[in-house]
Amino acid sequence: MTDKHDEFGLNAYFDAGRKAAQIPSGDLMARVLADAKAQQMANVPAPAAQPGLFASLWAAIGGWPTAAGMVTATLVGIWIGISPPAPLEQITAEVLGDTDDAYLVDLLPAFGDDFVEG
Amino acid sequence: MPFDAMNDVPDDALLVLYANGDADAARALTMRLTPMVLGYAARLLNDAAEAEDVAQEAMLRLWKVAPDWRQGEAKVTTWLYRVVSNLCTDRLRKKRAVALEAVPEPEDDRPSASETMIKAERAAALQQALATLPERQRQAVVLRHIEGATNPEIAQILEISVEAVESLTARGKRALAAALAGRRAELGYQNDG
Repeated sequence: MTDKHDEFGLNAYFDAGRKAAQIPSGDLMARVLADAKAQQMANVPAPAAQPGLFASLWAAIGGWPTAAGMVTATLVGIWIGISPPAPLEQITAEVLGDTDDAYLVDLLPAFGDDFVEG
Repeated sequence: MPFDAMNDVPDDALLVLYANGDADAARALTMRLTPMVLGYAARLLNDAAEAEDVAQEAMLRLWKVAPDWRQGEAKVTTWLYRVVSNLCTDRLRKKRAVALEAVPEPEDDRPSASETMIKAERAAALQQALATLPERQRQAVVLRHIEGATNPEIAQILEISVEAVESLTARGKRALAAALAGRRAELGYQNDG
């Protein structure tokens, strides 16, 4: 910018200086453009891949957290079946009683009399 | 998109396009900003090869900051001038041990008849005189009188107050005038001063 008053008599030098700017070499422009492209590749995030059928199903049932819960529950169930803990056996005995007892239940006693009586 | 279609697009909009992966924006910004960055670095450093290194580094920093650039908040050129100022200051501090006498003298035995020659010699004399100024004065004078930045812009670039910019440019010009005093007649200053 030229000084309107040119108090120090420098305008001619500044004018000359503006016209004598260093011109970028072709090599510099190529390097800058190469940097631009390399950085652009690094900056732009890769587009997310579409999930496949298995991945969709997997996500639908809740993914890894759900699978972990299901596996744990299954293993605990199998273990209890193989080796039930003592308190559980006691409860089973109290609720169901002695499983060796046999009961004879006459579901329709009245019909028997009808047949006998004709 | 044809290259010249981007001539009217502001710098910050181009930077957003660049961050979104637009190859034309990368080319347009390179063509538009590299000469400006290089010119400023060359005036501060007085070394063509070093100025190229600084220009490349400043542009690389621009590419890296592009995804986080907030449009309309700062001028791209102001940001770049600040980066170049800081990079040049770092380099000059490392080179401070080098004596000022190492700055090449303009050749005195060249014919000064032609106007072009006179201008070239003036530019060289200015460059030599600029190299004698303290860094901040040099930055302020170059930004104001060569790059054409306004005082508020320079204040943003150098991260100082507008009053400090005015003081720096005034002192810088006085020092330049003193450094050039002995060469004025020789460089045909009276013809168009």
